[in-house]
Amino acid sequence: MTRAEVETALARAGLEVPERERQEIAAVAHFIEEMAERVRGKRAMGAEPAHIFPPPGA
Amino acid sequence: MVPDFLTIAEASTLIGKRELSPVELTESRLTRIERLDGKLHSFIRVLREPALAAARAAEAEIMAGNRRGPLHGIPIGLKDIYETKGVPTTGHSKVLIDHVPQRDATSVRRLTEAGAIVLGKLATHEFALGGPSFDLPWPPARNPWDTSRFTGGSSSGTGAAVAAGLVLGGTGSDTGGSIRGPAALCGLAGLKPSYGRISRTGILPLAFSLDHAGPMTWTAEDCAIMLQAMAGHDPADPASADVPVPDYRAALSGDVKGLRIGLIRHFYDDDNRAEEATRQGIAAAVKVFENLGCSVRELRLSPLADWAACGVMIMLSEAYAIHQATLRERFGDYGEMFRDRMALAALVTGGDYVQAVRRRRELAAEFATAMADLDLALTAAAPGVAPAIDAVGKFATFERPMLTMPFNVTGTPAMSVCCGYSVAGLPLSFQLAGKPFEEATVLRAAHAYEKATPWRSAHPRLDH
Repeated sequence: MTRAEVETALARAGLEVPERERQEIAAVAHFIEEMAERVRGKRAMGAEPAHIFPPPGA
Repeated sequence: MVPDFLTIAEASTLIGKRELSPVELTESRLTRIERLDGKLHSFIRVLREPALAAARAAEAEIMAGNRRGPLHGIPIGLKDIYETKGVPTTGHSKVLIDHVPQRDATSVRRLTEAGAIVLGKLATHEFALGGPSFDLPWPPARNPWDTSRFTGGSSSGTGAAVAAGLVLGGTGSDTGGSIRGPAALCGLAGLKPSYGRISRTGILPLAFSLDHAGPMTWTAEDCAIMLQAMAGHDPADPASADVPVPDYRAALSGDVKGLRIGLIRHFYDDDNRAEEATRQGIAAAVKVFENLGCSVRELRLSPLADWAACGVMIMLSEAYAIHQATLRERFGDYGEMFRDRMALAALVTGGDYVQAVRRRRELAAEFATAMADLDLALTAAAPGVAPAIDAVGKFATFERPMLTMPFNVTGTPAMSVCCGYSVAGLPLSFQLAGKPFEEATVLRAAHAYEKATPWRSAHPRLDH
C-alpha cells in the first residue's frame, strides 16, 4: 500500500491524523495487506460467512 | 489478621464457618489497595464506602442464616468497561470520562446478586484495545511481579489487582486474548468462556462477534465460582446462548484420567516461537497431564498467522464501526495507541472484512473437526514472560500472530494456566481450550494441574 493510498483512505475516513502518526501508520500498512491476502484465499462462490442473520423469533 | 493472599474458595470457607467476616475481609483489601496500588495503578476508581456498606449488609445476611453462596462477602473488582449504575464507566478513556450508566451490566448484576462486594473499577487498555498507554487520564497498570513490566492486556488492572491480592477475583473481557494475556503475564487463572455463555449486555463493546466476558482469579476453582454466577442466558444480548449452565465447581473432581489432549505445538514452536522457558514449562505440563492419566498427541491446524489475520481483520473492522463517528469528531481525545490502531482499521475494505468472516467459518469448522476425537487442546498462551512496559510497541499486535486469537475465532472456551516461573521470577503459562460450552472440562483439567503442581503457592513480593 503506497503512502498515497494510505492518505486517500484516511482522508475518505475523515480522520484528522497528525503528520508523525500518518507516517507511522503508512509504515505499518503492509500488515493490513498481508492479513487481507491471508483471508482472501480461493473458495466457492457460495461459501458463507460466519455471520448469518436469524430473523427475530426464528 | 487477614492473610495477604486468599483464594475465593478459601475465604468463602472461612466466611461460611464464621471465622472471617466480610467486613474484615473487605477492610483488609481496601487497606492493601491504599498501601500498594500507588505503584500498581490497577484501580482507576475505588468504591470504598459502597463496598463497606455492601460488606456490612452481607455480614448481616450471613449472620441471619441467609448466606447466598460462595461469592457472598467476597471482594472483587470490575474492568472499567463493565457498566455500573451510578458509577462512571470510562473504558479508561477521556472520551467516556463523564459516562455514568443508568444500569449495571447483566454480569455485574449477577455477581452482586450472588453477594460479591465490588471494591472498584479496574484499569484497562483504552476501550479494551489501546495500551499500555501513558497519555490517558489514568496511568497503565503495572505487573506486581515486577512493576517495570507489562501486565498484558487489555484486562490489565484485573491482572494486576488479582495477582497482588487487592481483590480475590475480577472481571475481564477477551476479544483476541484480553483475559488470557494478562492472566498469563500476571500468573493467574483466566477463563474466556464460550461465545454466548456470559451476557455482553452492559459491557462496552470492542468487536461484537469476538467479545467474550469472563473471570480472572488466582485458581481454576475460583474461576469456576465466578463463572457460575456470571453465566446464563440473557434475552437482552442477541448473542447469548440459551443453554444449560452446569455446576462448574462440582466438575472439579481432580480426576482427569482418560482425557484426550491435542498439543498444538507448531503455534509456539514455529508460528510464533515462544521463549525457551515457556516451551520448557509447556513440555513439563504435558508430562504432568500424562502422569495424571491423560493422553496427549500432536494436533496440527492452519498456521497461526491465518487465525490471527482472520480475528484481527474482524476485530479492527467491528471496532472501527463502533468508534467511526467519534474518531472523526474527537480523534485527539483518544490515546495515540488506540486512535492509530483504529486509523489502521480505516484501511480495511468492506470486501476483505467479509472475506475474514468467510474464513472464520472455515477455521471454526477446521477446529471442530480436529477436536472430534479430543477433549482439550493445549498450546502457549503467551510467547514469553512479561516484557518491559515501555517496550510494547503501538503496533505490536500486528507484528507477531497472537496465540490467543484462534479461540476467539472459534468462540470456544480457553483458559490461561500458570505453569511456573522464569529464572527472574516471572510467571510462565500455557493455554487449555475446549469444545463449545464445555468450560467444565477446561476447568477440571486446569484444576487438576494446579493441584498436582506447586505454582499456586507463590505470590508477588510487594512490600519491599
